[in-house]
Amino acid sequence: MFQNTKCECGHQNPVGTVLCEACGKPLQEAEAKSKEVLEMRYDGMARRSQRSNPNFIDRVWNFFSSVKIAVYLIVFTLVGSMLGTIYPQESTFLNIDPSVYYKETYGQLGHIYYLLGLSHTYESWWFILLLVMIGASLVICSLDRVLPLYKALNKQKIRKHMQFLTRQRLVYQGPIEEGAEEWITKAVTPLKKKGYRVHTEGNALLAEKQRFARWGPYVIHIGLIIFLLAVLARGLPGLNLDEHVAFPEGEIKKIPNTSMYLKNEQFNVEFYSEEEVPEQFRNLNKIVPKLFETKVVLYECTADCSDLSKKPQLNEVARHDVRVNHPLNYHGLKAYQFDYDLTPTIRSVTPDLVNARTGEKYGSIQIDMVDTKPTFEVGPYSLTVKDKFMDFGLDENGQPKSLSPSPNAPAFLFVIKGPELPEEGIQYLYFAKQVDKQRFRQDEINQQLVGGEIPLQLEVDSMDKVDIIQSVSYLNIRVDKAMPFVWVGAGIVMLGLVMGFYWHHRRIWIRIDDGQLTLGGHTNKNWFGFRREVSAVLKQMNLEVDEKSLDNGGNQA
Amino acid sequence: MGKSRRTVQIVILLLILVLGGYAITTSVSGSNGKPKEGDKAPSFELLGLDGQVHTSEEYKGKAMVINFWGTWCEPCVKEMPALQAQADKWKDQGVQFIGINAGEDQMTVDNFVRQVGVDFPIMLDRDKTSIRDYGISPMPTTFFVSNTGKISTIHIGQLDLDTLDAQISQLAKQP
Amino acid sequence: MSLLDFSSDAFIVSFFLYCAAFLLYAVAVMGKKWSNRDPQAHVDRWGKRAFIASIVALAAHFVFFFTRWAGAGHIPVSNMYEFMTFLSMMIMVAFIVVYAIYRKSLLGLFALPLTIIIMAYAAVFPQEVQPLIPALQSIWLKIHVTLAALGEAFFAVGFAAGFMYLLRTVDFSGKDKSSRRQRGWVEFTLITIVVVVGFIGTVFAFRASGYETVFVQKTASIDTEVQEDSTIEKVIYRMPPIFAPYQSEVESITPFLGMKEPLLETPSWMNGVNAGRKLNTVVWSLIVGLILYGIVRLIVRRPLGQALQPMLDGIDADDLDEISYRAIAIGFPIFTLGALIFAMIWAQIAWSRFWGWDPKEVWALITWLYYSVYLHLRLSRGWQGRKSAWLAVLGFLVVMFTLVGVNLIIAGLHSYAGAD
Repeated sequence: MFQNTKCECGHQNPVGTVLCEACGKPLQEAEAKSKEVLEMRYDGMARRSQRSNPNFIDRVWNFFSSVKIAVYLIVFTLVGSMLGTIYPQESTFLNIDPSVYYKETYGQLGHIYYLLGLSHTYESWWFILLLVMIGASLVICSLDRVLPLYKALNKQKIRKHMQFLTRQRLVYQGPIEEGAEEWITKAVTPLKKKGYRVHTEGNALLAEKQRFARWGPYVIHIGLIIFLLAVLARGLPGLNLDEHVAFPEGEIKKIPNTSMYLKNEQFNVEFYSEEEVPEQFRNLNKIVPKLFETKVVLYECTADCSDLSKKPQLNEVARHDVRVNHPLNYHGLKAYQFDYDLTPTIRSVTPDLVNARTGEKYGSIQIDMVDTKPTFEVGPYSLTVKDKFMDFGLDENGQPKSLSPSPNAPAFLFVIKGPELPEEGIQYLYFAKQVDKQRFRQDEINQQLVGGEIPLQLEVDSMDKVDIIQSVSYLNIRVDKAMPFVWVGAGIVMLGLVMGFYWHHRRIWIRIDDGQLTLGGHTNKNWFGFRREVSAVLKQMNLEVDEKSLDNGGNQA
Repeated sequence: MGKSRRTVQIVILLLILVLGGYAITTSVSGSNGKPKEGDKAPSFELLGLDGQVHTSEEYKGKAMVINFWGTWCEPCVKEMPALQAQADKWKDQGVQFIGINAGEDQMTVDNFVRQVGVDFPIMLDRDKTSIRDYGISPMPTTFFVSNTGKISTIHIGQLDLDTLDAQISQLAKQP
Repeated sequence: MSLLDFSSDAFIVSFFLYCAAFLLYAVAVMGKKWSNRDPQAHVDRWGKRAFIASIVALAAHFVFFFTRWAGAGHIPVSNMYEFMTFLSMMIMVAFIVVYAIYRKSLLGLFALPLTIIIMAYAAVFPQEVQPLIPALQSIWLKIHVTLAALGEAFFAVGFAAGFMYLLRTVDFSGKDKSSRRQRGWVEFTLITIVVVVGFIGTVFAFRASGYETVFVQKTASIDTEVQEDSTIEKVIYRMPPIFAPYQSEVESITPFLGMKEPLLETPSWMNGVNAGRKLNTVVWSLIVGLILYGIVRLIVRRPLGQALQPMLDGIDADDLDEISYRAIAIGFPIFTLGALIFAMIWAQIAWSRFWGWDPKEVWALITWLYYSVYLHLRLSRGWQGRKSAWLAVLGFLVVMFTLVGVNLIIAGLHSYAGAD
């Protein structure tokens, strides 16, 4: 199992070790003879996935551990994402049939786009698979690297092999006048001033700072893993709600899939005036909204909630002025201002029953458009609603019908019974809107129904008697319980980025042999700054060194 | 040491497989939310015209023909008499006809039902809950559900009265 | 004088000061061979003057920014013009940061034209203050947009340094395939820059002459109720129409060089009422750009890259490589924070979902993934030098597409740009 790879310094190294774990001497024959800069990855420790004969599990593991594969995965995701932006995705539309829409709007290319599944790129199996594989890569890449790195950095020896020092990417060699120990002791101060932790051992010195920066990439990866898992968790049943609901002004409506009710008490919209819009846009007749908000009241149902035959008992729990960027937030239930419609619709109309000949008023009735009362008693008369049309129109046979469920042209067919009327009563068609009365010629119809003069009329004498819903506010109601974890993941990613890119792990090894100072330095990033710092330290020790001369070549990040 | 490492590897790979599989399947199937043919029919709980609350549990074991309609929708109105005739025919043969009205109030539906003479159960979906659950878009839409609760056919648009009889007899035969 | 007028003046002052700074950098770099003094001292002295000029120009730029903010009532980053000027300002900031670390005056010779070109490009868009729609009325406008711009500014500096590296190291005498390919792509990049300059120049030239041609386009569409809807749209061209919009008629046309009618028609597969105008602009830019390039080439009598290479003699190629990387390394966390994380937070607050795969969001992600690839390849796979430089150059193209291409070519929730 374990081959004997004992270094000349006496330390036993696992198979595959490149640089001795203790003294840093290059172990492999070829390495030892070369003059090239050392491969300092993981400080030369053996990485397990490079060892022994790989079986199937190992092969899968190694596949995901590879940075090359990770790069490919990222590139494929990148390209896939680009493809999804060529044409608008299915999710941007409310109600289309994708199998015809793309062909109709974009022609043959559009149809191919749809057939390839690109019209829902980000929900397609291969895109999600890519993300899953990136997730796997994140986990396995990091696990594979962080453990050897931690081990390597944890047990560092102060005195390293000469080759270890001279084959770093930052090297200085030169004579010194003082004694070895004296020099080492003097060197501690300037190094400490630069923030280094200094360890000395006779004529050898190790100075290290900001080791935490090495963990940066792994913190980033952990953050990304948490982020991806949280995104996945969002879809779990019970953790999310996403409803677009229309709330007519002045009405209470139930929020679907919850026991909450919301009332749109008032909806306000303000537009920018002509002067506020720049000249260039004035001619385009663009009406730009300045502000639109819905004053809402949120209720919770306390009793009779699921019993459909009874009215639910509601208890007010919250109030808020909902605007874009200012949603209502009640214990995680959020209401966002999404859209609005200013088309007014009638809620109810309260006409008087009037004697057509004398003008005598008998009383008034309130006719609600929705949930209309079936019978009314006014004075000596009784009115029964025989038929109701929300959007009056005539079908192909000339018979009345309703064209839609919205109260666009409401009409009511009454049967009126009472004094001086035939026993079976008379029929009376009433249009709630004045414009419809004229459009459909209400009086002519009623004359025909009565078979003569109309004895009674329903009349509205002022606009106060008409209750109008001025607007409908569309709110997006959402619950997203997994979001905190999404933000935690994102925060950890930021932490890792800052750790890894704005601070750098630096180490300086020094040894003095027979009046010769040898200095080797290593950093994970920013060699330019490192050279500058080492040069400054050496200057403090009265050694003038040109920064560039410290550069020993090799790939420098 | 090597053994525990191998265990860790296997555990992690399995976790990735499970989570990945979950991610892919929920994304591919759940992206629509609309029930398709072969899916289990969504349950419903609605107030009927009779003033009673009816749930889909009531009709368990029976095949169902669920028709979504509205009084303003011409084809819905046209096909109602035919539906009534079929309802009568198949009533005792284990096929239950149900009409779900989209969002209109009691009076409107009452008037219509009385005029046309419909006696199979009519439900009022005031909040359009079932409309949403069933993913109904244009109307009329008719769901043919087998007696095991699976959606056998979804018919969008006016029913073809010629084939309706055949369709229902096929539905009745299904196990 | 109103604040807004003063702000416009500050903009122009700043622009010319930037040009002056650029000239000073040119003197610093190219003049070191003229004077009979020590070249290094020459570079140092003129470099210092150029740097001071840059700082003064940036100060004027900030004056423009803050006076516009005061005059408009909201932070001026809400439309294309405002954002682009802000980006050019941030590029200067990024340049100063990188200069403070590396002290290479030569970087200024390339960073300043970048700033100037982007500032000029910004001026192509409508400059008037537009009122903020409710969706933009949020503190996040200040945070998300500014930080994203700063991150992108560092990427821009990385691009400049990377391109400098390529100019410095490209072998103009080599006969092998690799050298020729390098030369070809370097020249292509330069041609692209010239075309952009050509575009800007063309826009301003025709704007100055007040050129205008108006088209009327009838579009027929089938709406949801299977009814045919026909709408009449007016399209205004500010350049002579080489390509008229698809199926349109001329309402009024200003003749140009004897051309009284549009030459060609935009193909039908190009979507959108403005497709014709955009195609026309692109074609004009290409024509003017290529003519411009041809003229310069005739004057210099060599490939442009070869003419520029001697300017880069005084700098170590490795340093350029490091500067390019370092700029990107500094910018990447800032970009992540501004363009992704704060964007997600704002999206959650405004639109109820933190990510919606909107084209702008997707391209921001693409940019992020791209630079993540850059960093991985550099740090873990040893991709340094030339490969890294090309990635930095290409990365900037991705950034520009995210900023401009998405708004102009792809429509979506993010289109606050303002007509162009």
